[in-house]
Amino acid sequence: MSSRPNQHAMLALALVLAATAAHAQGGQQAPPSSKAVVMKGKAPVNDKVLEVKLPRPKEGDLANGIHLIVLEDHRAPQVTFQLLIPGAGGYFDAPGSVGLASATAAMMREGTATRSTTQISEQLETMSSNVNVGTGMTSLDATVSGSALTENLDKLFDLASDILLHPTFPDEELAKYKTRTKTGLNQNRSFPGFLVQELFQRVMYGDDPASRLLMTPEQLDRVSRAAMVEFHKAKYVPDHAAIAFAGDISYDRAKQLVESKLGAWKKSGAAMVAAKDPPAIGPAKVWLVDRPSSVQTNFIVGTQAIERTNPDYNVLEVMNSVVGGGPTGRLFIHLREEKGYTYGAYSGLSAGRYRGTWSAQTDVRSDVTEPALKDLLGELVAIRDTTVPAKELQDRKRSLVAGFALSLESPQQVLNYYVTSWIYKLPADYWDKYPQRVMGVTAAQVQSAARKYLDPSRMQIVAVGDRKKVEEILRKFGKLEVYDTEGKKVIGVVP
Amino acid sequence: MASQFTHRFGAVAAIAALVVVAVAATPPRAASHPSAASRDITFSDTRLKNGLRVIIAEDHHAPVYSIAVSYNVGSRNERRGRTGFAHLFEHMMFKGSENVGPGEHFMLIFNNGGNMNGTTNKDRTLYFESLPTNQLDLGLYLEADRMRSLVINKENLDNQRNAVQEERRLAVDNNPYGHTYEAIDSLAYDNFSYQHSVIGSMADLSAASVEDVQAFFRTYYAPNNAVIAITGDVKTADCLAKVKKYFESIPRQPDPEPVDMAEKPRTAERRLMMDDPLARLTRVDIAYNVPPSSDADDAALQVLATVLGSGRSSRFYEAVVHQAQLASGVFANKQETRGPGLFQVSSTLNPGKTTAELEKVIYAEIEKVKAAPPADWEVEKARATVKRGAVAALQSSLQRAAVMSQDALFYNEPGRINTAVSRFAAVTPADVQRVARKYLNAENRSVIITTPKAAAGRGGN
Repeated sequence: MSSRPNQHAMLALALVLAATAAHAQGGQQAPPSSKAVVMKGKAPVNDKVLEVKLPRPKEGDLANGIHLIVLEDHRAPQVTFQLLIPGAGGYFDAPGSVGLASATAAMMREGTATRSTTQISEQLETMSSNVNVGTGMTSLDATVSGSALTENLDKLFDLASDILLHPTFPDEELAKYKTRTKTGLNQNRSFPGFLVQELFQRVMYGDDPASRLLMTPEQLDRVSRAAMVEFHKAKYVPDHAAIAFAGDISYDRAKQLVESKLGAWKKSGAAMVAAKDPPAIGPAKVWLVDRPSSVQTNFIVGTQAIERTNPDYNVLEVMNSVVGGGPTGRLFIHLREEKGYTYGAYSGLSAGRYRGTWSAQTDVRSDVTEPALKDLLGELVAIRDTTVPAKELQDRKRSLVAGFALSLESPQQVLNYYVTSWIYKLPADYWDKYPQRVMGVTAAQVQSAARKYLDPSRMQIVAVGDRKKVEEILRKFGKLEVYDTEGKKVIGVVP
Repeated sequence: MASQFTHRFGAVAAIAALVVVAVAATPPRAASHPSAASRDITFSDTRLKNGLRVIIAEDHHAPVYSIAVSYNVGSRNERRGRTGFAHLFEHMMFKGSENVGPGEHFMLIFNNGGNMNGTTNKDRTLYFESLPTNQLDLGLYLEADRMRSLVINKENLDNQRNAVQEERRLAVDNNPYGHTYEAIDSLAYDNFSYQHSVIGSMADLSAASVEDVQAFFRTYYAPNNAVIAITGDVKTADCLAKVKKYFESIPRQPDPEPVDMAEKPRTAERRLMMDDPLARLTRVDIAYNVPPSSDADDAALQVLATVLGSGRSSRFYEAVVHQAQLASGVFANKQETRGPGLFQVSSTLNPGKTTAELEKVIYAEIEKVKAAPPADWEVEKARATVKRGAVAALQSSLQRAAVMSQDALFYNEPGRINTAVSRFAAVTPADVQRVARKYLNAENRSVIITTPKAAAGRGGN
């Protein structure tokens, strides 16, 4: 599971249960209008979508407020668990203490009252196990997760509870953590994929907490041991937490394990905290990070979209699948298979507890920057202006639904559906009815969603490339702002 | 890192990782783990009349099956002037065959809820798909049709040449240290087969002709040069009958020439300094020449890599990152290779530190292992990793298929998956010390220092 539940949007894309609405697929299927894909229709396809029944986990509430979710599956002798702690995520860091939540999470495994960081590493790695405490800069939650062979589960959970309840945040380890983290933060600025994502987040959300990607070295410097101790005490509380187990474990055994190791973790009375609406997105512009010596231009083109519980979610999922949700999407077919501009071109919907984004992403060689961007934007026009052909729509919906069978190989993946249900308070039969909802999406709904959400006047073009090669080209697509690789504005209109 | 190139995205990341990790399911060493004891993977192993080797491992945990086809060709088979060919060819395998249109292969797999990809490394080219169990015919038909009758024309070739050149820019030319990865192989190997990169050079990719591609297909994509493994929710007899129906009429071809992989023994350290305009920090790469993965020393070398460089309890991490704070990370690994291998160490220097300090600490840790065998718990780390891998293989039919087809090809041992745990259980601390002494010596290593070139890529610095 992601430590950024707002990424869970992508989850439903890969999976999902097959059921009733099995439409015959027939021999030939209308491909996207491109000679790059030709369906000869001779391969033997079983027209039925395989019906599978998603196993249900057992759930209950413990005395200290923890919600327990267990998906029992004895196929392999291993157990994974994930504890979610709402309110302990980086999203809630105050502007003056950005990075505190991330640093606290990372430092919890750097020493406890009875174990040094080195002892923790030795004990975990001797079992080939892991305990990860983490949160994203835009996450609402912190997570503590781990996995082990069944024979090591007691030892693993003992360690995890020690890390959760008794971290000491040693000063010496904090100094070392800062040194190595700064090297990584510096290193990130050499990667175009990081630079384009960083600027995209800023363009989407301005100064809102949702805009954060990583802390700066200066923010990291401000994090103190005292602040982490205080943060841990106030935020790592069980009041609104959930813990989910998957694998070789029963509900009763999991309950006994949690009660014995986390029974001393007492409710604090803290209120549940919620995300707020991010500011509305500004008018369409073009944004460039000047990265000298680049031989490619990296693009993210996108805008704000919806939160996960928005009723349009399934419609947008289908729309996204048509435009660019994988190698069968139009972006991949046209930009790669037909034109050969790129190794990949995809789109994604990111929907969490605040208004997320829809975006398209590709990396193209510098000398095709202009035609590639034109083609990418052309797909946004097409999905707004033209009804998706019936066969193409049917295929995309079918791929969303039929993929559910594959997820049954992994109890962890099945559990993720139910964790998503818990996070977003989805109806109990949400996943049972998912196939019907997806198969029920119409071409008219897709088009009206595209018109509503893919608004050209709000569509932002973010690029990373060599300014010398691409500045004049990008100016053709709108007002341009230019940044350096440190994130400082070099040139541009005043926002 | 850049030693494996792939057709697309998605599942391949997982599979690439799985295939290099040793994997097994075998009787446990103690009687207290009955759960793993009965879980040897059973399979059938058949050779069709045309030479195609067919491995079927049936289980019914989930309504899913997977296919992996390993072709006995990788970049090691390439000649000078035609580098990048095996991988470019892999892309051509999605551009259509007699009965399957261009792109139809992946459209049909994804439209029916499946997952698929192709991936090429120095030693083999692997194609794979997972599908719901009611689509068994579909997967077999698609793999057979392209093995029989790939359509090779200029338009397809030009199109995929562009995609591959873009893949090269993405993975190598536009990335910090991209050229370092290539330089390691060209410095550490003398034999051309492993010396050049899988992705190939831009000039060679541009030079590839339709005739080259056709000849390559005839030689290497023959049934007698491939292993197909089918795992998961199938019935063995029924599945084998279908494999025969779709594949057995594909004609056999003359066996390709074996590849000479021999390397001469080393007599002196090799050293290279590189500038990188896209990098911001100095990086040190050290490669020791070691034997192929089929060698009896291989498991001990893998344990050595774990002791020195796997995880935060490793000796390198403790000495380099935690104590001396010379770098933010340090890694050691020994990848699986059919020919002579490399034991690689890499680390990115913290600002203000020197590569001399870093190398000194790394070599000092190596000398300690040579001087005294590692502790039992350090060896146990490697055993535990193999055990976890074995358990993971129980859940993923795709992982089982990939590993079994590859093990059949590399070791003539499709069931090698079942013996990994015992292979590693047999490695003693003294073995680890012995292989450190034997291979991790100065005259046997190649060192590359990559330094940021100040002019560009560093913004305001």
